[in-house]
Amino acid sequence: MIKFWNKRVKLGILTENPEFEDEIKTIQKEIKESVKKKFAGSLALRMVDSGSCNACEAECNALANPYYDLERLGIYFVASPRHADVMLLSGIMTFNMTPHVLEAYEQIPNPKWVITLGDCPIMQAPFERTFAIKAPAQEHIKITHHISGCPPSPKEIMQGLLEFLKKI
Amino acid sequence: MRFIARYAKDRGRVFEIVTLYDSEVQKEQVHKEKPVIQTLSHEHPAALWFERKMQDDFGIIVEDAFDKRPLVHQEQFPKNVHPMCKDFDAKELDFSEFQPYNYEVIKGDGVFQVSVGPIHAGIIEPGHFHFSQAGEKMLHLEIRHFYTYRAIEKMLEGKTLEEAKPIIERISGNESIAYQICWRDILLQASQQELPQALQKRHAFLLELERMIHHLTDLGFIPNDAGFGAALSLGSKLAEDSRRKMKEITGHRFGFGAIDFANKFLDTVSLHEWLDSMQESIDYFEDWIIDIPSLWDRLDTTGILALKKAIKYDTVGVIAKASGLAIDRRINNFYLQNGFEAVTQLSGDVAARFKIRIAELKNSLTMMHNFLQEDDTVLTLNTLQDGEYMSFVESSMGELFMTIDIKDGVIERFFARDASFVNWQAVHLMMRNDIIADFPLINKSCDLSYAGNDL
Repeated sequence: MIKFWNKRVKLGILTENPEFEDEIKTIQKEIKESVKKKFAGSLALRMVDSGSCNACEAECNALANPYYDLERLGIYFVASPRHADVMLLSGIMTFNMTPHVLEAYEQIPNPKWVITLGDCPIMQAPFERTFAIKAPAQEHIKITHHISGCPPSPKEIMQGLLEFLKKI
Repeated sequence: MRFIARYAKDRGRVFEIVTLYDSEVQKEQVHKEKPVIQTLSHEHPAALWFERKMQDDFGIIVEDAFDKRPLVHQEQFPKNVHPMCKDFDAKELDFSEFQPYNYEVIKGDGVFQVSVGPIHAGIIEPGHFHFSQAGEKMLHLEIRHFYTYRAIEKMLEGKTLEEAKPIIERISGNESIAYQICWRDILLQASQQELPQALQKRHAFLLELERMIHHLTDLGFIPNDAGFGAALSLGSKLAEDSRRKMKEITGHRFGFGAIDFANKFLDTVSLHEWLDSMQESIDYFEDWIIDIPSLWDRLDTTGILALKKAIKYDTVGVIAKASGLAIDRRINNFYLQNGFEAVTQLSGDVAARFKIRIAELKNSLTMMHNFLQEDDTVLTLNTLQDGEYMSFVESSMGELFMTIDIKDGVIERFFARDASFVNWQAVHLMMRNDIIADFPLINKSCDLSYAGNDL
């Protein structure tokens, strides 16, 4: 462990891509202020995968890495819909998942919002309609905001969340 | 013989059942009026899901199987509907009445059931885990999947290989490059062409980059599930760096659309430098993490899969290698000349799977140096010939198998078997001596795909 602290002290803070980092910083600042004003400082997201390829999930996981660090802005991915303000819905609403998505939505306390993530839930991804697909999601559930991309990058997700915060 | 896959085809009046082993292909035909086959699951337990899937997809009856429950068709799926038959063309199915699924459970005094999923606590794909518990101790686990079942096989029928590409590369986001390379090999077989070495190297470079991203993510998440969050910070930083590199080279963070037949410019000098810096970071990571006893206390002897079981269940990929089974589709001249080394561990526990990932990562870096080459080869494809084609690729999870039948220029039957499909069936064997709190750690150490498994 001592090697770890040694390296940390020696290395200091690194910035590889100042332009990108600045953009992210601006978004982060706005998100933080917005979350503070509209959600008393903490916005709880419940991520639900209704049949995605795992790329959207990987990008949401990336939001927690040291580059983006979403939790610092007061946005948390929570473990239960009962702790959530917003459902972040990815995936193509498969036949097998649709009842579970609706169940999870029921469990979220009011007031609640749904944000769709990626091209799948609005049926814009290259997948075609089959008997096993129930997308688009708006046929089943009221959608407040959509973040497009296949998958949206962490930066696009942050921008999307900011737009959502401005919208409500 | 290692069992690889078993699947069926609708051939008009008969079903053709193909059983694939590493050294042979067996074909058998059964009449549609009496579609009865014998199970292989007594010798090869991994055949069970393949057979249950056939039963759902085609209505084929597996006579002597000990498990005849539906696999893909869940509680509200209409009964007696077999969507992979050619005469099924509905684009919409209504939910039917809820029919409970009988889980495999152990009953007894004080034994209780724990149901987990399909929606999990973290940011992961949907799947269901059903535990029979005696206090903290796991007595049995049934893994139930196919929540992300999108009917990809049916979706691709009637499309050309070109039209199918954007869908194939999105079957499993973590293994997109591997799926694309399988598609590429089938395309080349159909056009009867050889891939120029320069393109082969470019594709192999991307495949190793994808493997790097996947392993780095896991190297962070495995210690995180044992409560050591610092590793996740470092691992996810390195994974993000690699993903940005993927974006730089292919224009997409997951490499969607990356595999084609034109070699584009690569800045080899800066890529060599980048690989060196990654090497340094990974060496540092290894040196640091090996030295944390409280972490290894959790990883060692947790979730053991014995070699005998790994063979019996026909496992592949990281799981097989961690139990001492050197199965790798990269054991061929091309990879060996470029520095491939097969890695294995013997203990078969979480620690072994963790170490396999580190070793593979370092080997990938060595090979990537050798794959870098400045070249602008372009391959023009011939017209495609009809036929039945198969291809294999070692994805970051293990051996990926894909088969496509082309008839009149379009796909007649598509089938893919992700490494996860066989490996998931061996995961319950790892729980014998562990408590339920170890399950997330064991599951993460295998890090299998749900979307690739479910299709």
